[in-house]
Amino acid sequence: MLNHLRVLDLTDQRGVLAGQMLADLGADVIQVEPPAGSRGRRVAPFFGGDAPETERSIFWTAYTRNKRGITCDIEHSDGRTLLRRLLDSADILLESADPGAMAALGLGYQQLKDDFPQLIYTSITAFGQTGPKARYQATDLVIWAAGTPLLMSGDDDRPPVRISVPQSWSHAAGDAAGGAMLALHARRATGRGQHVDISAQVSAAQATLGQVLAHSLGAVEPERYAGGVKARGVGFRGTREVEDGWIVLALAPGPAVGHFVNHAVRWLIDEGVLEAELAEENFVTYPDRLAAGAADPDLLPRIQEVMQAHVRGKTKREMLDVSIAYDLLLVPVLNIADLAESRQLDARGFWREFTLDDGRSLRLPAAPLQIRIDGAPQRWDDRPPPRLGQHNDEVWGELGLSADELTALRERGII
Amino acid sequence: MPHERPILADLKVLDLSWIVAGPTVGRALADFGATVIRVESSARVDTARIVGPFHADEPGVENSGLYGNVNAGKLGIALDLRVPAARDVLRDLVRWADVMSESFTAGVLQKWDLHYDALRQIKPDLIMLSSTLLGQYGPERGVSGFGTQGAGMSGALDLTGWPDRPPAGPYGPYTDYPAPRFALTALLAALEHRRLTGRGVHIDQAQAEATLHLLAPALIDYVNGGPSLQRRGNDDPQMSPHGVYPSLPPADRDEAWIAITARDDADWRSLAQLISGLDPNLTLPQRRDRSAELDAAIAAWSEQRSAAEAEQALQAAGVPAHALASSEDAANDPQLAHRNHFLRLPHPLHGQTIVEAPRYQLSDTPGAPAAPAPQVGQHTTQILQEILGYSDARITDLAAAGALS
Repeated sequence: MLNHLRVLDLTDQRGVLAGQMLADLGADVIQVEPPAGSRGRRVAPFFGGDAPETERSIFWTAYTRNKRGITCDIEHSDGRTLLRRLLDSADILLESADPGAMAALGLGYQQLKDDFPQLIYTSITAFGQTGPKARYQATDLVIWAAGTPLLMSGDDDRPPVRISVPQSWSHAAGDAAGGAMLALHARRATGRGQHVDISAQVSAAQATLGQVLAHSLGAVEPERYAGGVKARGVGFRGTREVEDGWIVLALAPGPAVGHFVNHAVRWLIDEGVLEAELAEENFVTYPDRLAAGAADPDLLPRIQEVMQAHVRGKTKREMLDVSIAYDLLLVPVLNIADLAESRQLDARGFWREFTLDDGRSLRLPAAPLQIRIDGAPQRWDDRPPPRLGQHNDEVWGELGLSADELTALRERGII
Repeated sequence: MPHERPILADLKVLDLSWIVAGPTVGRALADFGATVIRVESSARVDTARIVGPFHADEPGVENSGLYGNVNAGKLGIALDLRVPAARDVLRDLVRWADVMSESFTAGVLQKWDLHYDALRQIKPDLIMLSSTLLGQYGPERGVSGFGTQGAGMSGALDLTGWPDRPPAGPYGPYTDYPAPRFALTALLAALEHRRLTGRGVHIDQAQAEATLHLLAPALIDYVNGGPSLQRRGNDDPQMSPHGVYPSLPPADRDEAWIAITARDDADWRSLAQLISGLDPNLTLPQRRDRSAELDAAIAAWSEQRSAAEAEQALQAAGVPAHALASSEDAANDPQLAHRNHFLRLPHPLHGQTIVEAPRYQLSDTPGAPAAPAPQVGQHTTQILQEILGYSDARITDLAAAGALS
């Protein structure tokens, strides 16, 4: 859908997902790295093997699929001249340097906007381009703390915890892709590109279910609680132990989710652990009847207890099948190994196999959306992640650089 | 020079999604000028309306700050789609719309003949987003769930917490956070494609798959022969120290925390200058080996000062650190204030409400919601009269048939 667009991706480990999101929709995304390789190529985890470390970062592999890869030393004036030649044909530039760093090289938005009026200049930083914390040093954990989700997550008797795979920059990258697309629509109206300023702190605040607004609205602060929620000091845990791990189980009455309790009762009756008469009970109306004194206050707690005892001897897979068959509000807590074997992901073509030119085969996630145009499925995710500088000849050649010029640039360490 | 007309002023969006993932997409479009009609039914209100944070901590379907945040700037119509006449109204709205967004459990719209293949017969160039937990097809597509279930099905729940404890999980429905980013980007791409080709697009999003892309390094490691990542608290293999440390809490709180991280040896040396007794020459492997001892020394320093004081001292030394902000801290954060992140909007019931600003700051064509989120069915009559041109008699008939509730 975006096959007519060219994106120059200068991001490092901060925001490298954004370009892949656009590439997965068809855009020609060119990852531009320093000749020694992006810092993102040094981010863990790593594949084993004899290849140099710059070719073994799984993190970098995960977020450069479908891009072309070139090198260009933008610290050198000849490199900047080359980059400017490429910018003539670019619709979107993505960058994640510290605020002011691109300007120090003469490549800031203000310095490029007159020469490249079409350019949508998209910046991803921890706190935004300006403001009292714009120069703060940041990591994933620091951004998660500043955006407020970190304080809300974890066991209540230990320090708050982040997700064990860093998330902050990917949320910001997602907003950068969306912001760049909004600016593309603006360009249709105004005829000009503009500057899109993404703050990872603001992006992280998305991961709070609106609780970042709690104090502003006069509500109480959320409390952290492992596997559930806590309100006014009382915890409600949704995770329950089963034979081979954990499930998330919700048995709450009322108009929104009470019908799931009815379904669970039906299953427990079929399993022979609840009496058949309870099939008549309706947990959609239970809270109202309880308030009117017309329902048994001990009934729901008893069903919850029976359910918890009964699932203990089941596996995650068994409980997922039960959940589908009976329509329960219940899912397994899948771990990485479970996900690798997911029949749902297999059925949806989640995995793609690539054979790299060194003969290694590589299994990567496909584009995360299924897109049909006039009913026909579309994909734009066929390109394996590029080796460092893999497309130098191709991309610089397209600009009209001769083989001799490229050799000279290589010898001088520009590309 | 700012551009006067909102950039999406010509865009018409029909939003049948609910809770967070889908509505967040519609909110972004509304911020930039699209006319977004949020379809709801008072027979089964959006779950977001019964989830806090609530205005003045008072639960109520018109009090939810969560609903307000993801639906600001939209118009609201009440339609009970179980009533056939309501489905006819919806088809008229589809003819009006450029985009339809929905998040019904896969199969529900088929029952009403309102699924994509039916709707594209009446609107061939419709752009439609279907966003559910596990997608429109596949053996597990019917799994019911909110994003909290998605956190379980996407690995995010299992991967958050301590290695010696059951999984803790991130806060709330984690799959609702990554999903709208992918959906919005694809939807805007589809609109661009339609502008060039005139063709309609259906986007089938599994919110769990969107989330898996944010966990991709761990997945790729495992499926290519590596280990299965286990939750590891705040440990990071390439940074040390890397953790959450206690701070001196303010008088009205029981606890306060600060995140302190050292990306490299230079950060460590800066930290060692600030906190006495730390050996500035330790390497990363040495620091990781001795992390219990070093963490205790850092905690002994941090717990004697407020998180704000420690944050300023550490940042002045160039060490990445930040207080674990509460929503109160966020409300008082000078950086968020600088970005004008908390927007005050006049509200017919509350006098004023507060929503978050758009997450994308566009220099020339900034966006912002024009109004607060609608009350249930607030604009039903207006939409039927002004957008669909229905007569008063027809509207009365629809109401009598129970279609407009």
